[in-house]
Parts: sequence; structure tokens; C-alpha cells
Amino acid sequence: MRKLLHLFGICIMLLLLSSCSNSVKNDTNTLDKPVPDFVPLTDVVEGRKDIYLITKELDSNYWDIVEEGAKEAGEEIGCNIYHSGTYSEMQWKKQEELLDRCVELGADAILISPDDSVKLASKIEEIYEKGIPIILIDTAANTDSFNVCYMTDNLEAGNKAAEEMLFQLKAKGISEDEDIKVAVLIGNSKSQTINERLAGFYQYWTDNAPEKWTILSEIKESNGDVELGGQYVEEILNNNPDIKGLFATNNSPTISVSQKILDRNDTDITVVGFDYSDNINSLIESDDYQASTIIQRQFYMSYNGVKAAVDIINGASVNVKFEDTGVITVNSDNYKDPDVRAIIEGRK
Amino acid sequence: MNNKNEIKFLKKGRSYYAILLSCFVVFVIAIYMLISGFNSLITKHDEKLSQEICTLLSEKMGTSLLFMTDSAHNVATVLSEQNFNFPDEIYKKLESYNSGEIVGLGFIDETGKIYHSEADAKDFEKKNLAEVAKQANPVSISEPYRSSRLGQPVITLFTEFNYAGSHKGYICLTYMFRTLQDIATTQSLNNDIEIWLMNAKSANIIQCVGRDIHASGSWANAYLKMGNINPEDKDKFNNWYDKMHDGDSNASVSYKIGETKYSQVYSKIDSMPGWFVVVRIPSNALSETMGVFRNNVIIFIIIFLMIVAVIISVMYVSWKREKRILEQLSINDALTGVLNRRAFEISIENMIFQSKGGVVIFFDLDFFKQINDGYGHDAGDKLLVTFSTLLRDSFENNGIVSRFGGDEFVVLTDESSKDKVNEIMERLRKEVNEITIDSENADTKDANISFSAGLAVYPKDAKDVSELLKCADQALYEIKEAGRNGYRWYEG
Repeated sequence: MRKLLHLFGICIMLLLLSSCSNSVKNDTNTLDKPVPDFVPLTDVVEGRKDIYLITKELDSNYWDIVEEGAKEAGEEIGCNIYHSGTYSEMQWKKQEELLDRCVELGADAILISPDDSVKLASKIEEIYEKGIPIILIDTAANTDSFNVCYMTDNLEAGNKAAEEMLFQLKAKGISEDEDIKVAVLIGNSKSQTINERLAGFYQYWTDNAPEKWTILSEIKESNGDVELGGQYVEEILNNNPDIKGLFATNNSPTISVSQKILDRNDTDITVVGFDYSDNINSLIESDDYQASTIIQRQFYMSYNGVKAAVDIINGASVNVKFEDTGVITVNSDNYKDPDVRAIIEGRK
Repeated sequence: MNNKNEIKFLKKGRSYYAILLSCFVVFVIAIYMLISGFNSLITKHDEKLSQEICTLLSEKMGTSLLFMTDSAHNVATVLSEQNFNFPDEIYKKLESYNSGEIVGLGFIDETGKIYHSEADAKDFEKKNLAEVAKQANPVSISEPYRSSRLGQPVITLFTEFNYAGSHKGYICLTYMFRTLQDIATTQSLNNDIEIWLMNAKSANIIQCVGRDIHASGSWANAYLKMGNINPEDKDKFNNWYDKMHDGDSNASVSYKIGETKYSQVYSKIDSMPGWFVVVRIPSNALSETMGVFRNNVIIFIIIFLMIVAVIISVMYVSWKREKRILEQLSINDALTGVLNRRAFEISIENMIFQSKGGVVIFFDLDFFKQINDGYGHDAGDKLLVTFSTLLRDSFENNGIVSRFGGDEFVVLTDESSKDKVNEIMERLRKEVNEITIDSENADTKDANISFSAGLAVYPKDAKDVSELLKCADQALYEIKEAGRNGYRWYEG
């Protein structure tokens, strides 16, 4: 009896004490997939400057063009370009390791597209303070410890997407008195790029759209999962019959939206996305659908980035730290245009 | 039947441990109620306090923005005394002006021409900031934008400036957006406070202060950022946003995201039409601080009560031991250890009526007085102890043994078989007869010991204890008259 009481007492005591303490949550990182070491994109010639390129997503058409830009600039100028990157934007910690690896390998300059603008800021500051020029491409970092940034002004790009959506909806003949909605599917809500595009879209839309044309307040986040994005689109369209437009903030949700529209044969919905994929291409090329996509000029991000890196290494001063490489809108009216094709195919 | 030489079995008391357990349960309930009450108090207090903190911070931001606009206005006032005739002169003067916080100075003349660095002028054109300048009354502030020259989010203040008589232009002062972060940063609760500028029309927000200092200047949209508000609180949030949309100067709201409760307040920025300062604090930011105090109080109470429990237990054990000694002294015969007369009388009352039947036996050692006189009191005492031991050996398994006084012993046995009792009595008689008292005095012979006993049966002979004892005494008397060293059953 006495032992039982003691045991009971201890249990109660532990229960009380544990109720007073905070539970500890484990933050497990499931994205530990190893990233490859740097590989040269150009011939490696001794005595030339070594410039390292760190990109966001390996095995992606978009980033292949970024590689091409760096390679072409490297060959033109005559410097050694090395490349590595991560498989997903969630792998920002791997980019930290890659930045350290660049220092270890004696990089003369680093071009990086940060997976996370906020979380990588400290590491970028640390490298920059070592005197290694840092050139940001595609995505800004929330620090001023970098030399120059070549990227799309994503707020502007979001503006353009909203402008295109309004243009297409009006072109379709939808009355300004009709109550309609557009829905938004985003990739990763932690990405500053995506947040800026979303903010830009809202900014332009609320300033210019007819009063009865509104944005569905529920914004869905696919987190880079094309299939999940498709399910969200299905839900949105089934639950909201007044949806007339779908806006996707980046490549992965654009694929989800385009694929779902093709699957449903939903010719009534206008699609505006970002970047170029076979799916959005199918919609744009078809006469049955109305779709547009905003294309970035990523070739020039890395191309200009490498050139700027060499200039900085050679002591040139930089008067502009942020350069908008601009976007173009691709739709059924201009997709055959040779200049547009050149940008899509990464030749410009 | 257990050892009947202890009286404990006669009256069972409430277990100390049961009482202790009851107290413990009451204590646990009391502690639970204390914690609940404390938590509820903290929650109410925190809600009120966090809203007040939000309001204070939004006022602080508003005042700081006002200070910035005043500074801009003062620059214009100072310059206006110099009677400039051409915008070029103004711009040159501005270029020489040096202020730690201002990262860019420029001028827009009456025609809308921008006098600034090439990169800044390009930004002004791209963002159509000349239109913002025209809203100056006397000062206006641009939306945050990324400066091409600096690569960082900035805001530009525009203030009216008259030159060459009646020409109206605008002086432009650009500040890093993180200046606002520096203004809003507080030493305490800094990891929990979030401050944004929010556009009422688009619901776009730009962060001034957050958990990560690098996140300052990040754009987002409130529909996404606050999209995971618990469904039951969404209407409250929408009402709050509607007030902002309708242009109300300030409003507050509380909502939950998951288990975390937030207090959120906005206040209008007069010089930035359509924009508001929004401050958000999780209520538990304060609860966590108070929670440490609460936990310390609870731990103190638990330790205090544990000490009290230990002291009570020690006192209880000590008291119990002393009580036991006193009980033993009060119920047992000091010499022989069997029950004394008083204890026997209590026991027999309880025991006899609980059993179906029993036998009361009155023993008397024969010629005990002579033994005392002849062999000494020590020998007498020794005999009494030996005799009582034999009685206990014979009856203790099924009865109780007591010493009534002197050489008189009374036994109650629940053995109902007369033959069995006779058998025990015979065996006892033989054992007692075998007791010898050796004489230390040469004049005295060694003594042979015997006893006389009277037996009465319950309920046959009497149903009342005193009557039963009388019957046994009567039988004893008779056996004594008959020559002692034997026993006799009462026969009426």
C-alpha cells in the first residue's frame, strides 16, 4: 500500500511538473538529400578567375538556362565557371554548405540564387565579409552584404501578371458588371520571390480591376507538389463556380493549373502563370484555351552576373546594386514571335 | 483467530494512508484549480496587455514616421530661405547635405523633371513617384520599393518646396526601410512582436519587425500570411480588415492560429494614404514570462506540501509507536503480558457475542500465597509467568487469556467441544504439575504446583458476561472445596 502510494505520488508530481513546462517540439529536416560537388561548366584553365555558381533547382529547364548564361559569359570573358545547387528550395541549409565549400575551394566570386532570402542572409554576410564578391541572381537576399543582384523585379512581374489576367478576361468579353473571381495557387509561401509576385498581383488587381472582379481570399499553397496543386485546383473550381481565372505564381503551380485545365477541358478558365513548361505551352498553342505566362530572362541574370563578377574582381565599382532583368508576357498572340522563342529557349 | 493479547482488532480505526490519499487527491484537485485559475487570469491579463502594447507600438511607429516627415519639412523650410531660382541649384545644395539616416536626396521640379542619381531617377520613373510627390500635404511617403542603387527596400519622403518665387517643386528624401525596423525594435518581447505596413486596398503587407531581423522589407499578402487563422475567428479578422478598408483610424482584433492566440492592432499613417501600421503579438509571449512565475509558485507549493507531508508522517509514526506502548500498558498485564482484567472484559463483550458459543475458564493457582511466602515473591512472579505462558500456549489459538489479579487467570475460548476442552485442560494440568520450584532455603521443601479451574459454557450456563463469570467462579469454588488440582464444569 505504501509503495503504491509513493508511486502514485511520484506520478502525480511528475504530471504536475510536466504540465508547467513547455513541450519540446522536434524540428526534423526531411530534406537531407545530398547535393553534388561543384562541376566545371567551362574549360578549366589555370590562372583564370574561378567563379562559382549556386542555383536553386538542379534538373530544371529554368535553371539549365541560368547555367547556359553563366557558361556563355565564362567562355566569352575567359574565366572558370563551376556549378552546383540544390534539388529544392527547401534545401537552404545545403546552400550554406555549398557557400562554405566555395570558400574552401578558393572562389574568386560567387553567384548564388538563395533558396531562402531570409535564412541565408547571415551566411551571405559572413562570406561577403571575407572579401569574396557575392552576386545574387534570380532572388534577393535580405541583406546589403552583396555586390549586385540580377533578378526580376517580382513586384513588377506580379503587376504584369495581373495586367495580363485583366486583359485576357476583358478580351473574353466578360462584363465588368458580372461577379467573377480569380483564384491563386502559389508554390512556397516562405519564398520572397513568390510573396512579391503575389503582392504585385494584388497591388495591380485592386488598383485596376472592376469592382465586381475579386480575388478568392483562400490562397492555396502547393509547396512544389504538382499533384497536390492539381487537387487544389480541382477543389477550387468545384467549390467556386464563379471562378474565371487562375493565377499561378511560379513554375510548379503553373504546371498544376495547366495540367488540371487540360484534364478537365475547362476552356472557360483563363490561366496566367510563370515560366515555361510543356503544359502551359499546350494551353497557349491551343485555340480552345486562353492562357499566358510570364517569362523571366534568367539567361541574362547569370550572364550579366558573371560579367559583373569579373569586373568587380578587377576593381570596378558598382553603381547599381539591383538590376531588373525584366520579364515578357507570352500568350497566343506572340508565342511564335522569333524574339519571344529565343527568350523561351534561353538563347537571349 | 489472531493474537488476542492486542486490543487493536477490537475496534478498527480509519487508515492513515486512506486519509493521506484523500488529502493527496484534494491537493491535486486544488493544484489543478490553482493552475487553471492562474492560467485563465494570465490569459485575460495578457489579452488586455498585448492589445495595449500593440497600440503603444503602433503609436510609436506613427510618431516616428511623423518625426521623419517633420525632418523632411524642416529641410524644405531651411532651403526655402535661400531663394533658389533654378532646380539645378537646389539639387547641388541637396547633394552637399549629409545625414546619417537619409540615403538619397533629390528634387522634382514643377514640370516633373527628376534631379537625382541616374539609378534613383530611373526608380522614380518606374514607380511613378512623381505622382506620390504631388500628394504631399505638406509631406507624402512612397510605398516601400527596392532601390536599384542600394539593392535594398527603401521609402522616399516628398515635401513641398517653393523656388523662384511661386514655382512648386518637391524635395525627395530616401530612407532605408530598415530605419523603420530600428525605430520599432524594442528590447523586450523583440522575438515575438511583428510589425508591418499594410495597404488597406490590396492587403499587401511589408514587414518592419519580425522574429528574423533579415526579414525586414519582405513583402507578403495578409490573405496568405493570416490565411490560417482558425475558422471561428475569421469573421473577427474580416471585420477588423473591413474597418481598415473603410478608413477607420485604428482597430484591434484577437484571433487564434492553431493554439496560439494573437492580438493585432492597426493605426493609420496620415502621410502615406491607404497604408497602416499593423502590430501583432502572440498573447503567450507575456504568458510565458508569467508562466515562469506560476511554475515557481507551484513548485514552491509542492515542495512545501511535501515537507509538511514528511513531517506529518514522521510525527504520525512516532505518535503511533507511543500509542502502541501506552495501549500495551493499558491492556496487558505488566508481569505476564496477557490481557489485564479491564481489557479482558472489553474483549469478552465483543468476542462472545460474535461467536456462536464459548467457554469461560476461571483459573486459580493452588496455594500461591504459601509459595510467595515460602519461596519469595520472585519465585511467585516466575511461577505466574510460567503459568501464563502455558495458558497462552494452550488457548491462544482459539481464545484469549487474562490475568484478573494475584494468581487468578480467566480464559475465554471459542472451542465449543467439551471433550476438546477437557483434553486441553488435562494436558494443561499435567504440564502445570510438572512445574517445580526449587528451594534455595534448606528448611523448605521443593514445591509441586497445581491449579484449580471452573468452567462455564456460553450461552448454555449464562448469556450475560458477568453471570457467566459468576458461574465459572462457582465451579472454581466447588473444585477448591473438592480438594483442588483439577477443574470442574458448572452444573447449575
